[in-house]
Amino acid sequence: MSVEQEKTNENNDDIIVIKDLNKWYGEFHVLKDINLRVKKGEKIVICGPSGSGKSTMTRCINRLEEFQRGSLTVNGVEMIEDVKNIEAIRREVGMVFQHFNLFPHLTILENLTLGPIWVQKKPKKEAEATAMKYLERVKIPDQANKFPGQLSGGQQQRVAIARSLCMNPEIMLFDEPTSALDPEMIKEVLDVMIELANEGMTMLCVTHEMGFAKKVADRVIFMDAGEIVEQNTPEEIFNNPQTDRLQLFLSQILDH
Amino acid sequence: MKEFKPLPDQPAPNDTVGPIHWVKDNFFSSAMNTIATLLILALLATVVPPLVDWLLISANWSGTTQDACTKDGACWVFVIAWSKQFFYGSYPTEELWRINLCVLMLIGVIASSQLLNKDWRNKFSIPAFLLLPFVCILILDGSWIGLEYVSTDYWGGFALNVLLAAASIIVAFPLSFVWALGRRSEMPFIKSVSILLIEFFRGVPVLALFFMGSVMLPLFFPEGTNVDKLVRVWIVLTLFMAGYMAEVFRGGFQAVPTGQYEAADSLGLSYWQKTLLIILPQVIKVSMPNILATFVMLFKNTTFLLIIGIFEVLSTTQTALTNSNWLGGHSTEGYLFVAIVFWICCYSMSRISASIERKLDTSHKN
Amino acid sequence: MSEKPQVKSSPSFFNNPRNRSIIYQLLLLFGLGYFFYSIISNTLANMEARGIQSGYDFLFNTAGFDILMSLIPYDATNTYGRTFIVGLLNTVLVSIIGIILSTIVGFIMGVAHFSHNLLIRKLATAYVETFRNIPLLLQIFFWYFAVLAALPSARQSMSLGEVIFLNVRGLYFPGLTPEGGASVVYAAIAAAIIGIFVLKRWAKKRQDDTGQQFPVLWVSLGMLFGLPLLALIVMGFPFAWDIPYLKGFNFRGGVTVIPELMALALALTVYTGAFIAEAVRAGIQAVPHGQTEAARSIGLKEGKIMKLIIVPQAMRVIVPLLNSEYQSLVKNSTLATAIGYPDLFTVFVGTTLNQTGQAIEIVFMTMAVYFVVNMTISFLMNRLNSSVALTER
Repeated sequence: MSVEQEKTNENNDDIIVIKDLNKWYGEFHVLKDINLRVKKGEKIVICGPSGSGKSTMTRCINRLEEFQRGSLTVNGVEMIEDVKNIEAIRREVGMVFQHFNLFPHLTILENLTLGPIWVQKKPKKEAEATAMKYLERVKIPDQANKFPGQLSGGQQQRVAIARSLCMNPEIMLFDEPTSALDPEMIKEVLDVMIELANEGMTMLCVTHEMGFAKKVADRVIFMDAGEIVEQNTPEEIFNNPQTDRLQLFLSQILDH
Repeated sequence: MKEFKPLPDQPAPNDTVGPIHWVKDNFFSSAMNTIATLLILALLATVVPPLVDWLLISANWSGTTQDACTKDGACWVFVIAWSKQFFYGSYPTEELWRINLCVLMLIGVIASSQLLNKDWRNKFSIPAFLLLPFVCILILDGSWIGLEYVSTDYWGGFALNVLLAAASIIVAFPLSFVWALGRRSEMPFIKSVSILLIEFFRGVPVLALFFMGSVMLPLFFPEGTNVDKLVRVWIVLTLFMAGYMAEVFRGGFQAVPTGQYEAADSLGLSYWQKTLLIILPQVIKVSMPNILATFVMLFKNTTFLLIIGIFEVLSTTQTALTNSNWLGGHSTEGYLFVAIVFWICCYSMSRISASIERKLDTSHKN
Repeated sequence: MSEKPQVKSSPSFFNNPRNRSIIYQLLLLFGLGYFFYSIISNTLANMEARGIQSGYDFLFNTAGFDILMSLIPYDATNTYGRTFIVGLLNTVLVSIIGIILSTIVGFIMGVAHFSHNLLIRKLATAYVETFRNIPLLLQIFFWYFAVLAALPSARQSMSLGEVIFLNVRGLYFPGLTPEGGASVVYAAIAAAIIGIFVLKRWAKKRQDDTGQQFPVLWVSLGMLFGLPLLALIVMGFPFAWDIPYLKGFNFRGGVTVIPELMALALALTVYTGAFIAEAVRAGIQAVPHGQTEAARSIGLKEGKIMKLIIVPQAMRVIVPLLNSEYQSLVKNSTLATAIGYPDLFTVFVGTTLNQTGQAIEIVFMTMAVYFVVNMTISFLMNRLNSSVALTER
């Protein structure tokens, strides 16, 4: 009830608002004073060297990681230590992982209908119909009755995307979705993501696929040492880096 | 171009690190946890002080007879008075040096495997380890090497548990390897015989095997043959162990990548060259944790020999407890002592097994 | 290139793999044949020399000895065949008790390993590491000779509300003697069990059709206890309490658990429980953390994540391990013979074999029983395995 009220109260077009977010792993300061506002429909690519905190920041958005200081609001719901709020936020946010994390004991179709049936309490038929719709969109409806282990990495990742979409999320988070894939499978996953971007989904992607960033990103965020170092349009980031750190990073990932 | 200077690290907020937070996190993180912590602490507070008092503070340590146990606590005098029997059985006192010598050799071999480099370990420690039980049997028996003969009737105590377990695993090693090979064989008859053997010795209670050994084996031999009781037990323990180890080796074979077989084949090695030189070392390596676990089971199971009247340590304890001079109800002390001896041996072996497993886990990744 | 190695175009007879395989197998066959031939001929000769008649006729002779505990009517005038049944039932009884209790203990201790509370974690570890590294027989003796033997005599029994008594002779608790109308209560229990199955199917179908979830577990529990309770009330409690009472130096009436059974069941439970705890821990650890994260990210609640994601995957690891632990437990129950609990081994391989000398028949029958029991466990566990764990790949 209160969740719904909060939603309507703060009605602007910023769907994610992060203010002065700080996180520690024990004594280690992983995220330092992160401030970020994401508009509805905006596509953001986050890059940076490993250990820069980009995954951690993304995972804070659907509370896979806790943070110690600052505030985080998703679609008008503030992230506080309250099961109701956390559930409300997770319903709005879909997430795709580096290692797919499909449920190996369930068929592809069951992977997709699990959320709609148990979280959204939809009838099985309806959930399956939705699932098939999304499987068609990721172009593997014929694999519906197989188990995840029988699919290639690219297919598994597309299923993982479809699984998130079945929950009808407002926001999609991608945590290095292509870095565990063989080169020839990267494209099929990126194609699905581009299509999704073109449909107006709000997206946050942690990725090193710079081609993808140039093609779809409204904004590229460069992170290092737990903070946002630069954020700008892809053209500005790639052609006109403002800091030595970003320049070094770009030279490392582009020159090979 | 701006130079990027990272923000300075700030100390974590007080409520997330530090000893107070650690205590809160581990003991009082929720209402349920707080209740559990308090309950357990209360339980420990009621159990531990009297236990420590009984075990140590009010315990009786000095003396030679039951009458020395005047205080309320444990009567460790009982354990001390019988400790020679517990460890050596009724082996003649003037010949005890033989058992001690065997123990020293065992310690020496184990130490050598830790201290020597890999080359010498293969040349010395492993053969020495394989031969040790037989050497010990010769020394303990005596008649073969010009010492005074000590009949197996006098062998006993914890030394016998160790000896039987060690002698059994060493014979079981090659036997189980052959069975495991047989089970993998493509020859149908050899395969089915191997499966029958393995499943038989795994599926039957070990006690039934001991009974077979003591009741049925004499029927199998020609009349007049008299096989020593310990030898029969040794045979049974070996076969039992071989059944379990064959399954361990089968798992080991499956863990060796097919590429290894293909590589060996492409070198033109024969079946036995391939099996013994390339595959066996790898199988033993990956099977080591499970071999140790199986050995721990075998070692614990040597106490079952009490039931067929072998004077291993538990049976010595039972004898001591029913001795007319010690009828004061010292069973707790006696069992506790034997339990601690076994626990030390088995726990250290399981630790070693776990550490090998961790090492294998990291060296076999990818 | 250098010249080819000299290989004959037609390999010699012995180098042909097929011929080799036949020769090896024939060698083994002859070896085994000779082995069995000599064993059998020796055995026959030995048996003749000792005057033992082979065959199973002895099963119909009068046993002439008493048995400490029996689940079916038995006295010394019954046959050896009946001693087999008595022993078998006692083995089955202690095995079932052991399996149920060790599963409960093992699952609690295995899950406790993942507690947020350090004390609980340490206690679970201490339990596992202590009891699985001490020989089972020693534990049986400890419970039997050190703990249970130290209980007070019948006259000084410990009691719980004067209906349950514990003393050195055993545990006594009230029994129920059915009276008229008891069958209604039995029917209610049966109805509750059937009702639960029907409810489960109905709830599944309803969820499939409408998406509505139904609290099956709670309603099932309610039915399981509520229906029999209702029947009890309606029928005016159609049972007579058979409360144990002290007469002379011992208790009469009620149900008695002899100390031998208590000690054996306790030791088997504690020992096997430690191994099951390890199995459960291994099973839960085998489920990658990513599974939980993925389930959280689609919005499942923690309880549902456990039920739908963690348990089915953990069970795939746990069930095969449970299978072998249960089989070990049944095999280990033969240690009953060390404290005189009248299981199959004590009664049949012990007393009956001693009296009849029919070693081969008796050992064969006993081994067959353990094989059959273990096959049954294996079969049931494999069924469980295929029902909890769907195939992967």
